[in-house]
Amino acid sequence: MPSFRFKEVEHTADLALKVHGHSLKEVFINAACGLFSLMADLENLAPSVSREVHLEAPDRESLLVDWLNELLYLHEVEEEIYTRFEIETLSSTTLSATVWGTKTKVSKLTVKAATFHDLEIRDIEDGYMTTVVFDV
Amino acid sequence: MVNKKDLKRITDYLYEIPKEYREDMRVPARIYADEKLLEASLGDRSLEQLVNTATLPGIVSYALAMPDIHQGYGFTIGGVAATRYPSGVISPGGVGYDINCGVRLLISNMEADEIKPHISTLISALYYNVPSGVGKKGSIKLSPSQVDQVLEKGAAWAVKQGYGPQEDLERIEERGAMAGAEARAVSSRAKERGKNQLGTLGSGNHFLEIEEVVEVYDQEVADAFGLFPGQLAVQIHSGSRGFGHQVCTDYVRSLQKAVTQYGIQLPDRELVCAPLDSPEGRDYFAAMAGAANYAWANRQCLTHHTRRTFEEVLAGKVRNWELITVYDVAHNIAKIEEYEVDGQRTKLCVHRKGATRAFGPGQPELPGIYRAVGQPVLVPGDMGTASYVLVGTQEAMKASFGSTCHGAGRVLSRRAAKKRIRGDKLKAELEAQGIQVRAGSMPGLAEEAPDAYKDIERVVDVVHRAGLARKVAKLRPLAVMKG
Repeated sequence: MPSFRFKEVEHTADLALKVHGHSLKEVFINAACGLFSLMADLENLAPSVSREVHLEAPDRESLLVDWLNELLYLHEVEEEIYTRFEIETLSSTTLSATVWGTKTKVSKLTVKAATFHDLEIRDIEDGYMTTVVFDV
Repeated sequence: MVNKKDLKRITDYLYEIPKEYREDMRVPARIYADEKLLEASLGDRSLEQLVNTATLPGIVSYALAMPDIHQGYGFTIGGVAATRYPSGVISPGGVGYDINCGVRLLISNMEADEIKPHISTLISALYYNVPSGVGKKGSIKLSPSQVDQVLEKGAAWAVKQGYGPQEDLERIEERGAMAGAEARAVSSRAKERGKNQLGTLGSGNHFLEIEEVVEVYDQEVADAFGLFPGQLAVQIHSGSRGFGHQVCTDYVRSLQKAVTQYGIQLPDRELVCAPLDSPEGRDYFAAMAGAANYAWANRQCLTHHTRRTFEEVLAGKVRNWELITVYDVAHNIAKIEEYEVDGQRTKLCVHRKGATRAFGPGQPELPGIYRAVGQPVLVPGDMGTASYVLVGTQEAMKASFGSTCHGAGRVLSRRAAKKRIRGDKLKAELEAQGIQVRAGSMPGLAEEAPDAYKDIERVVDVVHRAGLARKVAKLRPLAVMKG
C-alpha cells in the first residue's frame, strides 16, 4: 500500500510526480499540492484568497492536466500560490472546486505546464495512482 | 528500452535504429553521437522517445537526434523531425512549451580584460535591471492591441519602440518575425500571460552571461562574424515566457480531439498533432509563429536592457562598450523549409525541439553579411565551462534538415543534481574560478550545475566531425546571471 500522497521521481530534464489517492478527488488534490510544493515551501503560508475552478474534459486524464494547468494559469496571472483545495464535484469529465491561496513569490522553481506524457490514472487496490510529468 | 544491440553503426558519429525495430515506425531513427554520448543516451528514455517520433504521419527520411539528446516529454530533447508539407502533421509537443526558446549573442569591440575591474558591478547592475525569475513582470506593459502587434511583428515591434537599432533585425533568424502569425489563433489567456513579461529572462536554464572569446578555430568565418580572441561578448538565453507556455498548453489540449478526428494513432498523448493543411494544424502554426515572434521581441528587449546597463556602468570608464548583435537563433520551433527528399525538392515542416538551424553557405534566408560563409550557430554550454559559436554547413542541408545541436544536454536529473551539489558551494567554486554568479535561487543554481550536463566539448566535437556544423570560436563565462 503506498503511504505517500505524492513524491518526485527521476526525470532527466523535467520533473515528474508520482501521485497516490484513495479516491479520484484525493489524486487531484494531492497532485495540486505536489505541484505547488515544487514551486515554494508551503509551510507557514496562510491562505487568504479563494478562486473557483470549473472544468470539463473528455476523460479523467485530460481533466487532471486541465486542473493542473488551470492552477498554473491562475498562479501566474494572480501571482498566488495555492495550498488548500476543496473539490465539490468530480466525475471523469467535470470538476468544480474552490482553491485557497496567498499572494507570494515562487521560491523554488517555475513550472511551465503539466503534460500528457505517458499519463494514465491507474486503478490500484486502495485507490488510484498516476505519474504526471511537468515541463520546468 | 532501446538497447545498444538495437543500434546499427553507420559511421563513427552516426547510429541508426532500423524501421523494423518497432512495427509503428514509419522511418528509421538516427542519432549523432560518439560511443560515450551514445552510452549516456541509453541511460534514460530518450531513444524510446525518438522512436515514438518516427511514427508521426508524414515524417520523411529519419527521426533525428543530436548528440545533446536527453529525455523530454513526448518528443526527445535534441530531436529533429521533418514532415511532408502540407499532408504531414505538425505537433505542438515537437516544439515544446517554451516556443522559440533560443539564444542571442552580442559582441563588443573591446577586450574582456578592460572590463574585468568592473565585472562585479556590471553583473550586479544587470541582475538589477534585467527582470529574471519565475513569472516575473517586466518594465514593459503591453495593452491588448500591443500584444497582438508583438506576436505579429516580433523583434521589429521592439525596434520600432526604440529597443535597439534597425541593424539588429537582419541578424536574427527570420529577421525576428516569422510569417504566418495570427492574433486570432492565440487565446486571451496566452495574451494575458504575455502582457507583463516582455523583456524578462525567466528561470530554469535561462541565463544572461558576460563572456570572453578564448579561442578561434576558423579565422575566415570568425572575421565574418566579427569575433576575435580576448573579445568581450554577452549571451542571452530565454524564450516566449508564459505566452508561449499557454499557446502550447492550449493546443496540446485542443489537438487531443483532432487526433481522433483524423484517425491518427500515437504511442504517447503528448505527441498530439494535426495535418498541416487541417484547420487545427493551420491554427496551431499561426499561434506558434506568434509565440516565436513574442520570443524574438523578448530577446530584443532583453538586449536593450543589457545595452542600457553596459552604458550605465561602463560609459566614461572604458571605450567601445557598445554591443553589436552577432545572431539570434531559435532552438524550439517548427519551420516550413525545402530539402531534397528522394531526389526531389520537397516542402517540409521541420520540428526542432532542442535543435538549432544550421544553414550552410549560399542559403537565401541568410543575411548578406553571412551568406558566403554560412549561418552563425550558437551553442551555449553549462555555466562553468564554455559555449561555442559554430557555422552551418552544406552537409547539414543534406543530412539533418539544416539542423545541429543546441547545447550540452542534461545527464543528471534536477533532483539528483540538488542532492549532489549545494548551490552556495557551487557559487563559491565558480567564483574561485573567476566566474561571478548572481542567482535568484540557490537550489535553482544547483540544478544547473556543470556536472548536471554532458561535456559540451564532446557534443560540439561530434557535430563538427559529422559535418553538421563547424567550430568557429569558443567562449568562456566571466559572469553568469540566472533567474
